[in-house]
Amino acid sequence: MNLEKVVFGFFVLLAATLNFGFFIGDISNPELHNIYELFAAVVVSLIATVLKFGDRTQLGAVHLATSLVADLQLVAAALAWTYAQHISDAGVTAGSTASVVSLSGGALVANMVSVVLLVIETVSFHRR
Amino acid sequence: MGNPVHGFWLRLLGRDQGPPKPSRTPFRLRGRVPFASAVQAEATIFLILRLMRAPLIVLITIFAISVLGLTLIEGRDAAGAPSRMTFFDAFYFMSYTASTIGFGELPNPFTASQRLWVTVSIYLTVVGWAYAIGSLLALLQDRAFRQALALQHFTRKVARLREPFLLIAGYGRTGELLGRSFDALGRRVVVLDVEPGRIDALELEAYHSDVPGLVADARDPGHLGIAGLGNPRCEAVLALTNDDEANLAVTMTAALLRPELPVIARTISPAIEDRMRAFGSPTVVNPFDRFGDHLRIAMRSPASYQLMTWLESGPGAELPERGRPPRHGRWVMCGYGRFGREITEDLRAEGLDVTVVEPAPKDPGSSTLPGQGFEPDVMERAGVADAVGFVAGTDNDTSNLSLIAAARRVNPTLFVAARQNRPASAPLFEVMDVDSLLVPADVVAHEVFAQLSTPLLWRFLQQVPHQGDDWAAALITRLTHHCGRHMQELWKARLNRVEAPALTGWLASGEATVGDLLRDPDDRDQRLPIEVLMVLRGDEPTMAPDDDFTLAPDDELLLHGKVPARRALGSTMIVEATREYVRTGRHLPTGWLWRKLARVPRY
Repeated sequence: MNLEKVVFGFFVLLAATLNFGFFIGDISNPELHNIYELFAAVVVSLIATVLKFGDRTQLGAVHLATSLVADLQLVAAALAWTYAQHISDAGVTAGSTASVVSLSGGALVANMVSVVLLVIETVSFHRR
Repeated sequence: MGNPVHGFWLRLLGRDQGPPKPSRTPFRLRGRVPFASAVQAEATIFLILRLMRAPLIVLITIFAISVLGLTLIEGRDAAGAPSRMTFFDAFYFMSYTASTIGFGELPNPFTASQRLWVTVSIYLTVVGWAYAIGSLLALLQDRAFRQALALQHFTRKVARLREPFLLIAGYGRTGELLGRSFDALGRRVVVLDVEPGRIDALELEAYHSDVPGLVADARDPGHLGIAGLGNPRCEAVLALTNDDEANLAVTMTAALLRPELPVIARTISPAIEDRMRAFGSPTVVNPFDRFGDHLRIAMRSPASYQLMTWLESGPGAELPERGRPPRHGRWVMCGYGRFGREITEDLRAEGLDVTVVEPAPKDPGSSTLPGQGFEPDVMERAGVADAVGFVAGTDNDTSNLSLIAAARRVNPTLFVAARQNRPASAPLFEVMDVDSLLVPADVVAHEVFAQLSTPLLWRFLQQVPHQGDDWAAALITRLTHHCGRHMQELWKARLNRVEAPALTGWLASGEATVGDLLRDPDDRDQRLPIEVLMVLRGDEPTMAPDDDFTLAPDDELLLHGKVPARRALGSTMIVEATREYVRTGRHLPTGWLWRKLARVPRY
């Protein structure tokens, strides 16, 4: 067992699950989307990105790319939420919640690709 | 298939698409020029990224914990009601606190429990920042990382060269002289050297164009590869390091990977010279051998030697003094190493008697005297008093200088030849006013310059020794009469349709003489201050033709003169109106309409 692989798989999967947890539920209902979950998703996603630094394989490069996409989407979601809560006069409305959640939904797709890559990597490793 | 990197990937991925089409290949690449070092550089950068993982993760984690804690702990708003910080406020607070900017407690004054948590987070985040920034700075200072960056930078620069360039392996004194001369001619140069100091010196040199330089061992074919050996625009490879083995390795690599590329290599060992010649046909320059040859030419024909050294020295060089080495009598040779052996052989071949003085003679022959040379008794036994020539040829400049001083004291009329080993000793040898001085670096530089600057010049120099002393003396008089004692531009002109479109008809008529061609376009009664050194017709050279020499189409001319004169001749060669004035004195209308009206016969 390779500890590095365990940590790597843990963070990639955790990023995807947290992201999913935040995303699930009625898209415009703020009560169904916990902001702490978004925070956790951003942090774990960032860590997963850093873990992918310095991998020279083709698969590693795609891993890094998907993570960067997820980061971008999640940070955008966080910014959208900050705007809704602190800057806009209307506060957190159904529309702003929908935009935050849909942004995180984009990140979810990227995280899913990451997980698929992880699975491919594992399967091809077994074959050898 | 012209792109070597493309070939590299093809090979790597194993997609063999049949034999490459040689007709489309712009140059012949026998093997793949290795790029291993470039890949290595990339690997180093990936390693650096990997090393940054731990500090970054620590930083992210610390930040996450601090921010999360702040949002969870209950505080009070301005009115005193319980409230929690939002993520945005918490992140903002932690960002300015962790980076030690410290704007104070925002948005509301903290409660005691919040302050307790902030105290803990401050220590955590400051440590995290210090760790991350410290690691990053350490990595930037890392030697391997800087080398990798320099290598990538260099690789990119060489790959982007869009002009022909020379690859110089070894940037010592010779490389420096050549780099400067070729730069003055507008040629590009790429430099490799093992000494970081010499590559740093590149930056300080006032070059017109950018000279890519890399600290690398030229013996590694990978390094030669990234320095442009596989680049189709590489014109020639110069192996000029101090190490004969390294020069041999460079010659070998170039001959095996790019057989059609001219290679010029420096060596002082005849054995290495033979080994170099086993690979293709490199031009091997042995400064000791050349100095011996020069000494023989100087003995037979001082003016020829003077002319050759002058033309080899490059633009701006002053006409050297005409030395007169004695042709009869006995010579004393001090130092019987490689240099001594070569010179002694050459002198003996000229029928001169040579007495050899050597501190540790390997073959105690009848004519070899043991001793340093500057001891009075050795001087006496060597017979310096009644010798005509003296050679100070040890590999130590201090010894050579004291040898010259000692010999001159015994016999002030001696012809003294000496070997200067270190560039730093140059002022001392200059003061000693040696009759014939060998500076190996300069000899090699002049030789390479003569061969690569203008191919015709090399041809010309090869012919000079056969022309006789009077011929050379006359030519020097002509050259100095026109252009002074400093060498001006040397250039090649080819009288074909491309370079001299205006002359085609005139040349074909068989009436174009050198004298007529060189008339001044401003006043045809004046002659341009240009000297024709050689005319090459087919493979037949005519040395320094006089003004009545008739030129023919496709002749190649080697010319010497000042820049304005060169431009004037250029307009005679290209502009028909100028040519017509130069030829007949008539002013030809330049416009098409006037020309039709004037009914100018077409040439």
